[in-house]
Amino acid sequence: MSITRVNIGPIHPSTHGVLRLVVDLEGDTIENIEPHIGFLHRGVEKLVETRMYMQCPPYMEKIDYVAPMSVDELYVAAVEKAMGVEVSEKAQYVRVVLLELQRIASHLFWVGSICNDLGQLFTTFMWGFRDRDMVLHLLEIATGQRMFYVNMRLGGLSRDLPEGFGEKTLELMDYLEKRLKEYENLIEKNPIFVDRMKGIGRLSRGDAKEFGVTGHVMRASGLDYDVRSERPYYVYRKLNFRKQYHLSGDNLARYEVRIMEIKESIRLVREALAGMPEGSAAGMPIKLITPNAKNRIVMESRENPRGEEMIYLVADPQKPYRLSIRSPTFINLAALNHMARGSRLADLFSIMGTLDLVLADVDR
Amino acid sequence: MKVERQALTEKVSVLKSEGFDYLVKITAVDYVSHVDAIYIMRNMDKNVDEVLEVEMDPSDLWLPTIIKHHASADWYERELSEMFGIEIKGRHARRLLLEKWDGKGSPMRKNFVWGEPYPKS
Repeated sequence: MSITRVNIGPIHPSTHGVLRLVVDLEGDTIENIEPHIGFLHRGVEKLVETRMYMQCPPYMEKIDYVAPMSVDELYVAAVEKAMGVEVSEKAQYVRVVLLELQRIASHLFWVGSICNDLGQLFTTFMWGFRDRDMVLHLLEIATGQRMFYVNMRLGGLSRDLPEGFGEKTLELMDYLEKRLKEYENLIEKNPIFVDRMKGIGRLSRGDAKEFGVTGHVMRASGLDYDVRSERPYYVYRKLNFRKQYHLSGDNLARYEVRIMEIKESIRLVREALAGMPEGSAAGMPIKLITPNAKNRIVMESRENPRGEEMIYLVADPQKPYRLSIRSPTFINLAALNHMARGSRLADLFSIMGTLDLVLADVDR
Repeated sequence: MKVERQALTEKVSVLKSEGFDYLVKITAVDYVSHVDAIYIMRNMDKNVDEVLEVEMDPSDLWLPTIIKHHASADWYERELSEMFGIEIKGRHARRLLLEKWDGKGSPMRKNFVWGEPYPKS
């Protein structure tokens, strides 16, 4: 049989960004995929070398625009480590609450868009976006913005949580728990959805390690590594975080891991709000910072919604000398060729959908 | 841990047999006097990281490929050669990964000359 070469993208509704795929097909079967990335490359790593430390968070947030706070927090945590700044206990609790809310928002966004990719147009898509919007509304109450919060400061946050935030959050968590049951009825009992997810895009445990995938892709393949439990930061140890994983390694496993993660995040938010200590969560105002980085080389990891994000920072006293970001979607996309080879062309987008790509994070 | 680049492939292979079989990241830092390539490996069972540093002279930038031992090194090595101008020996040369331009120089090196900003009309 002869090989047919199909070009997909760079502008395509199912790539969720600017990504070009050159796919070699034998009949309907995928022989090889060559992803072309870099259409969103902004050179963030170079750009921040010319900026003072606290001028960088806005650039960091644009790296992952679906979960901006998580990257911002990672960057600020790396700078805190370089400068030897302590984070107060109250601020640790507040950061965990906000990060978990951000994770729920990001996962709900994904649940909506994966169903959109699989042809469940609009109903699930709108449900996911509606519930995500409610979480964003909470974040707006806490930070003043719906997206791109820039609310992390050295040693804490830009401001304390407003009054009544706890009650509103708990109310929403109850609501989301009910909604998740409806999601399960709508999505998991839909035979079309299950047929297109079960057994498709399988990645074995060994290959997951070999290709270095991370986040829910890794955990769905049986590699139960989650930074929150293996290298607990902030108060995750106190909150008894339980990592979620699956053994089958297919699309459905990745979906199930994410749904379990939303449930775990809801539990974490409740527990963190219940154990929230008294005191202030406010960090240093930007104007008062006299930068003085003591540790020259700093490595910091966080479990972001898309996987383990890592910063390798070589610190000058005033600004980053070199900032290298290990982005989770970059390495997950690199494994796409292996995961999709041998599948049908129609399954390519369900496999790619479960990777949850954010092209700005891939290209940096 | 400092490693000579001639011994890098063997070191990576030994580490892999000792359980450091998950490659977290390959990156590099330009210290002007020398360029360091950084390899971060992880042993997931023991939950420890091993950081390999390979020092190179800026006039002689090359590294052996470790793609035989870690398939995930593919894109990292391509990014490295594109951003730092480090030649990766022992693998096929591939097209540029991130940059969609034909400009000269390696963007992440400290001696990179920034282009003129777009003129204001």
